[in-house]
Order: sequence, then structure tokens, then C-alpha cells
Amino acid sequence: MITVDNISKTYGNRKVLDGLCFSAEGRKITYVFGTSGGGKSTMLKILIGATAPDSGEVRYGDLDITALRGRSLDPYRKRIGVLFQNNALLNSLTVAENIALPIREHTALDQNIVHIMVKMKLELVGLRDFEDLYPEQLSGGMQKRVALARALALDPEVVYFDEPTSGLDPIIASVITKLIKDLNRLLGITCIVVTHAVHEAMKIADKIILLYRGKVLAEGTPQEIRESADPLVQQFITGSPDGPISFHASSKDFRDDLLVG
Amino acid sequence: MRNLFGYVGRAFIAFLGILSRIYFLFRETLVQSRIVLHDPVRRGQAGILRRIDEVGARSLPLVMTVSAFLGIAFTVLVSFQLRELGALSYLPGFVAVALLREVGPLITALIIAGRVGAAFTSRIGTMKVAEEILALETMAINPVRFLVVNRFLAMLVSLPALTVIASVTALAGGFLYGNLRLGITLDTYLRETLDVIVFKDVYSGLLKSVVFAAVIVLVGCDRGFAVEGGAEGVGRATMLAVVSSTLTIIVFDTIMTTAFYG
Ligand SMILES: Nc1ncnc2c1ncn2[C@@H]1O[C@H](COP(=O)(O)OP(=O)(O)OP(=O)(O)O)[C@@H](O)[C@H]1O
Ligand SMILES: [Mg+2]
Repeated sequence: MITVDNISKTYGNRKVLDGLCFSAEGRKITYVFGTSGGGKSTMLKILIGATAPDSGEVRYGDLDITALRGRSLDPYRKRIGVLFQNNALLNSLTVAENIALPIREHTALDQNIVHIMVKMKLELVGLRDFEDLYPEQLSGGMQKRVALARALALDPEVVYFDEPTSGLDPIIASVITKLIKDLNRLLGITCIVVTHAVHEAMKIADKIILLYRGKVLAEGTPQEIRESADPLVQQFITGSPDGPISFHASSKDFRDDLLVG
Repeated sequence: MRNLFGYVGRAFIAFLGILSRIYFLFRETLVQSRIVLHDPVRRGQAGILRRIDEVGARSLPLVMTVSAFLGIAFTVLVSFQLRELGALSYLPGFVAVALLREVGPLITALIIAGRVGAAFTSRIGTMKVAEEILALETMAINPVRFLVVNRFLAMLVSLPALTVIASVTALAGGFLYGNLRLGITLDTYLRETLDVIVFKDVYSGLLKSVVFAAVIVLVGCDRGFAVEGGAEGVGRATMLAVVSSTLTIIVFDTIMTTAFYG
């Protein structure tokens, strides 16, 4: 169970998160939805303890993540896996070395066993033949899958996904979506997925949280979200350009901005 | 006036901030180096030999070329002065002392700060920008152990070794000039040199090179970790790393020379 309690984060004068509250159940798939630039990655970085919120609390079970700093986060971090938006694979290591790295670091397993584990993780994402290539020799979608294999290296309890399918072709995107579903249904891994792709979320999520202006706009099962009467929610799921949500990220009025200059 | 004070004050506070960061980086590097050295598996994975090849062996051509020319130029200048005084027989000893104590360690450190320290900053800075360092931390892998320890240990071996090689090359360059232009025989040159130099000349130079190695690694890596703001940030940090390690090396050099011989 992950609980986000009233977190706020401001960069400069841009209030990115503004009293965000929600909870995500263990062994379930929770999708967090938001507009681009709406603070999804920021929220995820707070959840993994990489960024400190200005206020508020994140709890994993009875562990208060926001109270921990530096090395004291390590026990939590060994229990989670993170798929970063830009993959963040180590470019100086091969695919196999990237996946082996956390295993070597945190277990005393024999070289051969590490190798077998790497093979298994790569098989899971369908890339067993690519272990000796370097990340830059792979396509974006393949890098994403390697990054996922690395996130799974230590058999985490929770995996955080930042935009797992953006920039991928529809087939690979649905392969990844299915993978998320399998991780959850077959291995019981808690999945927290941050995305702006609505339709996948509707297919596999146990719970959907809509993030808007740094707060939770709506939350519930896909069914509940689909049936919501709120026009804002409807615009989110239909992706219509016309509606209450403006695509402008600035808080200042355009006319005022022009007149000042 | 107030502006000037404000500027100097802010610069001073920023400087203190960097000093404390480097102090913590140094402490962490020592702690982690101990861990790596005591664990055969980690020692193997750290790839220290590969790093020594990269920072040490591959710097040899540059270091040797520069020091050979420098040795010749230095000997030319000194011999000109000594001949005026009719004291040309002091040439080999004079050159040896200056090269071993001062020129060899200093020039080697400056070359390596430019060639290797800058590469540390851009490598680590690029990783910072690509969130690779964040990924390491998220996997509970200590970035200092992963990125700094092998560079630190490799430099601790490479820089003293390069310094010895640079000094010997420079001395050889000096002998070449003394032999070909001034007609001093190898026998005389060697005897005159060995008569003058003492063990302290050698170990003071080596001690300097150890300190310089730490400066280059710590300043280079710290700048890399501090990078913000994309490729431009990496470029700026790399430039700053070379400037600050050059300055630090010169200051430490003066302090140590004064302490040993002042
Ligand atoms: N380190 C930072 N410094 C300053 N501003 C930041 C920083 N990180 C994020 N921001 C700002 O916070 C806002 C939200 O960024 P974030 O990356 O969380 O959005 P996102 O929802 O993940 O967007 P996307 O869907 O495009 O990935 C943006 O306006 C961004 O400019
Ligand atoms: Mg994002």
C-alpha cells in the first residue's frame, strides 16, 4: 500500500503539485494520468525518494519515504524497480551488464547464476539475443524493454513506470501494456504507472487517478471514470482539444504577457 | 560598492559550498575505496587496471613529448646563465633538482588535469544529465563507489608513475642538449647529477603527484556530479573543472615547495 498524503512541490513560481492525496493498493495496477508537463514525473520522483516534496508525506506500508534521506532509503530502493521516462540505461555497459549490475551489487550470487538471471529477465521482455549490444545500438522501444528488464532484476515488490509506452509503435506499446498486466497478475507485482495514454490504462488498470493542476481531479475504476459526468474528466478520456482544459502551460494571461514586453 | 561586497560575499559562500562538497566527496571516496579494496569481487568489477590504461598508459605519448621538449628548453636557458658565471659544471645538478622537485610533478599534473580531469567531468556530467546517476541511486548503488573509486585508485597509481617518467624524460632531454651542444659526456653528466640529487628530491616530487592526483579526481568528479542543464551545462562544467583544478594544483604546489624547501 502506497499512500501519498498532501504533497506539494513548487519549482520557481510554478506550483507543480498542490496538495496531492491518493493511495495505491498493493498487488494492484494503479494508473496516474495527467497532461504533459502536469507533474507526473515529479510525482514519481517523489515516490521513489529522488526528490523531496516541499510538504506532505509518502508512505510505503509503515515506511515514511519522505522522512528518509540518502543511504537510509536503500532498503526501500532494493524493494522497488523504476522504469524511467528516458530509460536511464548506463551507456558504458552492455545490455547484459546493465541488468546484471543491481544483481551483482546486492547479491553474492555466482557469475553463472547471475548470467542465467539476466537471460531470464531478457526473455521476459523478448530480447534474449541482444545481451551484448550497447544501449545506443538499440531502438527506443528496445531500450525501453531493457530498462524494464533492469527494473525487474531484483524481483521488486513494486515497479514504477514513467510513460512506459510513449513514443512506441502501437504493437510494442500493447506488448508493454500486456507485460505490465502479466507482471501484476502472474507475479503479484504492484504497478504504479504514470502516463498520458488513456486507452491502455482503461484496459488494464485496477484504479485510475486523474491528475489536474497538481491535485487529484477524479479517481476510481476505469468503469467509474468512464461514467463520470464531470466534463473535465470526459475531456481527459476523449482527448478532445475543446473543453475546460486548456493546453497552455503558462499561468499568465497571454495578452498581459505580450503587453509587458 | 555594496554591489562589489555582495558579489564577493556570494562568491565566497559559493566557494565554501564547493569546499565542503569536495570534503564530503573525499571522505566518501576513501571509505568506498577501502570497501572495494577489501572485497576481491568488487575489486575485480571496478576495472582499475582498465582505468590505469586509460588515464595513465594512454597519456604517456603526450606527457613524454611535452617533458622532453621542456627538458631541452629548460637546460638551454640554465646553461646560458651558468656559462656567463663560468659555472657550467653545475648544469646537470641544477637541472635535475629543478625538474625533480618542481617542473616534473607540476607539468605532468597540469597535462593530466586537462586531458583526464576534463574527461571525468564530461563523462560524469553526461551521466547526470541522462539521469544515469539517478538510476544508480534508485538501484541503491553508491555512485561514488561506482564512478569515483576506480578513477581515484587509477590516478593514485598513474600520476606518480607518469611524474617519474616525465622527470626522467626531461632529464634525458637536458642531457641530449648538454651532450650535443656543450660536449658533456654521459659519464660526467650522470655523476654530476647523482652527486647533487638526494632522496628527498624524488619523494617530495612523488608526494606532490599524489596530492595532485587527488585534486584532479575530486575536482573533476565533483564538477561532473554538480552538472545541471543539458549539454551546455556539461561543457561549462568541464571548462570550470580544468580552471579550478589548474588553480588548485598551482596553489598546492607552491605550498608544498615552500614547506619542503622554503
Ligand atoms: N528540476 C526541475 N527544475 C525546475 N522545474 C522543473 C524541474 N523538474 C520539473 N520541472 C517543471 O515541473 C513541471 C512538471 O514536470 P514533469 O516532468 O513532472 O511533468 P510530466 O507530467 O512528467 O510531463 P511529461 O508528460 O511531458 O513527461 C514542468 O513545468 C517542468 O518545467
Ligand atoms: Mg514526465
